[in-house]
Amino acid sequence: MSFFSQSFAAAFELIWRLDAELLNIVLVSLSVSGLATTAASLVGIPAGFFLAYSNLPGRRIYITLLNTLLALPTVVIGLFVYMFISRRGLFGSLGLLYTQKAIIIGQFILIVPLVTALTIAAISRVDERYRSTAKTLGANAWQTALVVLREARFGIAAAVISAFGRVISEIGISMMLGGNIKGYTRTMTTAMALEYDKGSFTLAIALGLVLMSLSLLVNIVFQIVQGRSRAR
Amino acid sequence: MRALYELQGISRRYHGRTVLDIARLQLKPGRIYALTGPNGAGKSTLLRLLAFLEAPAAGSLFFRGQEVNFASRRSLLALRRRVVLVDQHPVAFSTTVAKNIEFGLKIRKIPKDERTRLVSTVLKTVGLNQYCHGPATDLSGGETQRLALARALAIQPEVLLCDEPTANVDVANQGIILSVLAQLNRDLGISILFTTHDAKQAEALAHQRLHLEQGVLSGEFPL
Repeated sequence: MSFFSQSFAAAFELIWRLDAELLNIVLVSLSVSGLATTAASLVGIPAGFFLAYSNLPGRRIYITLLNTLLALPTVVIGLFVYMFISRRGLFGSLGLLYTQKAIIIGQFILIVPLVTALTIAAISRVDERYRSTAKTLGANAWQTALVVLREARFGIAAAVISAFGRVISEIGISMMLGGNIKGYTRTMTTAMALEYDKGSFTLAIALGLVLMSLSLLVNIVFQIVQGRSRAR
Repeated sequence: MRALYELQGISRRYHGRTVLDIARLQLKPGRIYALTGPNGAGKSTLLRLLAFLEAPAAGSLFFRGQEVNFASRRSLLALRRRVVLVDQHPVAFSTTVAKNIEFGLKIRKIPKDERTRLVSTVLKTVGLNQYCHGPATDLSGGETQRLALARALAIQPEVLLCDEPTANVDVANQGIILSVLAQLNRDLGISILFTTHDAKQAEALAHQRLHLEQGVLSGEFPL
């Protein structure tokens, strides 16, 4: 019990005095996952909107494929991207392996299907009457699409928040493509795994507490956004 | 006088079933028409057709003497900017009451000052001026119906099509909506076509009643 309480006390102390190593790891995690989420949103939101809004032939097939990609394990993505960016891979000459860019690419692949699928769900929930109301008030196709997008904004925001929550807590991609290099590609989850292997729990627990606090924050924001969406 | 609308051999089908089959119909400008008929008679379908939101399966529709080309997006857009349909269960955009009304005006690139003036005028007309900057989604069913009417009025359409404008509102809101419709026709000469199940309402407001049964026009009754 004293081991447990001592570890937690030391972890809280690390957080309290904003330990430089802890801070650096948290910042790397936030920046990598933030950029991956931004890139995935830039691709996933328009793709989801297009799939939900248009009468694209084979639309159901695309949506089924997308839903299948949601179940893709992080290690499979890690392996797949590794094959492309390792020295012998197609993009080996770019020197991406064990860089933050590599993690961003892997995390981007992980959450693009999630953002797209949740955007499709958000757009599909928008009542058809918004479309016909915009049209009868004289809106052209582009203005009508913007009306639908605006009505789905809370659902889309929830998609982005959910995607960020997914990447901030993943480990497979960060470990395989980032290499867990101290001060450069070490994220909260890879650092926790390393500290666990070393049998040094203080930093691992401190990072666990930060990660859980971030997850809690993300979920609170998610609930608020969803609540506003339902209240409309 | 040139007809406002002229329908020739118009039909519309859903899943193989004919829901509208009108051999010939002429609607004159500046009048109020009440469209009656049982549920499923094709009233809403006819309104969507007259609002240029749906194309007929067969036949020709003329608006002010010009045949409507449903294949041309550009010409449909131009026509939709002259005719407005107010739905039976209208939706309010999830923004303020004022911005809901401004929507059609912004699209038409009306300057800001003029937009503000028009919003204020139409809100007074429908008696919603106290909610101007409040969220439109907080309005009751009857108030949303009035908002939809105000949103349509702001763009000063030539034709106002209303699908059961008083079906889901309380008596107080019914009175306001009916008096606004009468005032619009009398003061601004806006042509109005509304659907209703209420024969008394049709008689009180309309100049002429059209009756649909199973998609077929079964009578035109001057009132």
